[in-house]
Amino acid sequence: MSDECKKVDSLVTPYIDGELDAGARDSVAAHLNRCPPCHARVDVERAVRDLVHERRDTLRAQPAPQALRARCAALERSRAEIPEPLVTRTWRSSATPYALAASLFLIVGGAFTYQMTARSAAVMAAELTADHVKCFALNSVLNTECNPRIIEASLATRFNWPARLPEHPERIGLQLVGERTCVYGEGRVAHIMYRRNGQPVSVFMLPNTTRPSGLVKVMGHEAAVWSDSGRTFVLIASEPREEVVRLASFVQSSLQ
Amino acid sequence: MTRRRPEPEPAEPEPDRPRAATFEADALASIDSLYRTALRLTRHPADAEDLVQETYLKAFRAAGRFEPGTNLRAWLFTILHNSARNRVRDRAREAVTVDSDAAERAADRSIGAPARETPETILLRQTLAPDLQAAIDRLPESFRQAVWLRDVEEFSYAEIAEMLTIPVGTVMSRISRGRRMLFDALGAHDAALSGKAS
Repeated sequence: MSDECKKVDSLVTPYIDGELDAGARDSVAAHLNRCPPCHARVDVERAVRDLVHERRDTLRAQPAPQALRARCAALERSRAEIPEPLVTRTWRSSATPYALAASLFLIVGGAFTYQMTARSAAVMAAELTADHVKCFALNSVLNTECNPRIIEASLATRFNWPARLPEHPERIGLQLVGERTCVYGEGRVAHIMYRRNGQPVSVFMLPNTTRPSGLVKVMGHEAAVWSDSGRTFVLIASEPREEVVRLASFVQSSLQ
Repeated sequence: MTRRRPEPEPAEPEPDRPRAATFEADALASIDSLYRTALRLTRHPADAEDLVQETYLKAFRAAGRFEPGTNLRAWLFTILHNSARNRVRDRAREAVTVDSDAAERAADRSIGAPARETPETILLRQTLAPDLQAAIDRLPESFRQAVWLRDVEEFSYAEIAEMLTIPVGTVMSRISRGRRMLFDALGAHDAALSGKAS
């Protein structure tokens, strides 16, 4: 390769793409006319470029899945206030009776092999918050079962989780609303729904996964995360952080 | 290099809310191209979805830092690629680090490769989109990104340089080498099928 060829080599791509000014373009063209090897290389690169352009519509044909579109649109609607880095809290505080006002969702998950650790806590919290909002909206239509014994039996069957829901959730102002199975990642999670002063509170349980405890602020909600016996729990409510911490402590200590 | 003009600005400044809603709607209009590019980056649908969602989370959070009048789609792609890089860093354990030196050497071998006769004819006639897609997916990552962003997503060299945090000259050489590697891959395919390529 001559010096001139080397010089031209770095201009070949912008030449093909029509990104050179007239002077540079002419000098490349002049070289190509007297240098068959360079000319051939330009032909090769141009052929590929033209081929990709020709097939571009097909290459672009794969749309984003509807579920992803919906989740991202939900982020938009809530005009996300997105998380600071995860703040670790001491969740193992003693359980004391609380009298609070809000609603609480408990979400419990099923067979779940997805690499949870690969997801940022923020993404997880955002997805679950989207479900939190959606399931409550649906629940008014679905009229789910709110008898705790029936919910526990359902959790045991579907998630192999011999759960005992908190006794007397009204101590902290929570009223059990129902339970649903939500799809998350590549698995299923259980979503247990409460209300507190009319407002929804969710607790999600993601099976077969553990994550560091922490608090994430997302989409106008606070999400508290903790793990126990190989399950991860996420409590989500639109409440001040201190209240969410109290709710999470209550649920963590009384949920078995 | 200013091939795509940004959306025209509204004649009058709008109040905050509609403007924000427009920003978000415009951002969501890029979801298909972000997703398919994320697929090329991660090669796993679930990872690609994660990446796209993370991109929107960050974009909506940082909406105030977006400069109106600049290319929103390019800005989103920059966030996407930054997020992808961070993930690779976070996941050191499975960092199948692309040996970029080896990739560069492999690419070098194709420089000066003898041209086949009428390569354009051979390629265009015989290569179907699925084969092309597969060949693109097999390119080493750095070349795959450069070719994809340029030839499929139609970004300018400068925009790609920003997304990948590499100099414009490197963008051009990666596109160039990526295209030639693609030709070799497709040429081999053609030769195997038809014995036509000499």
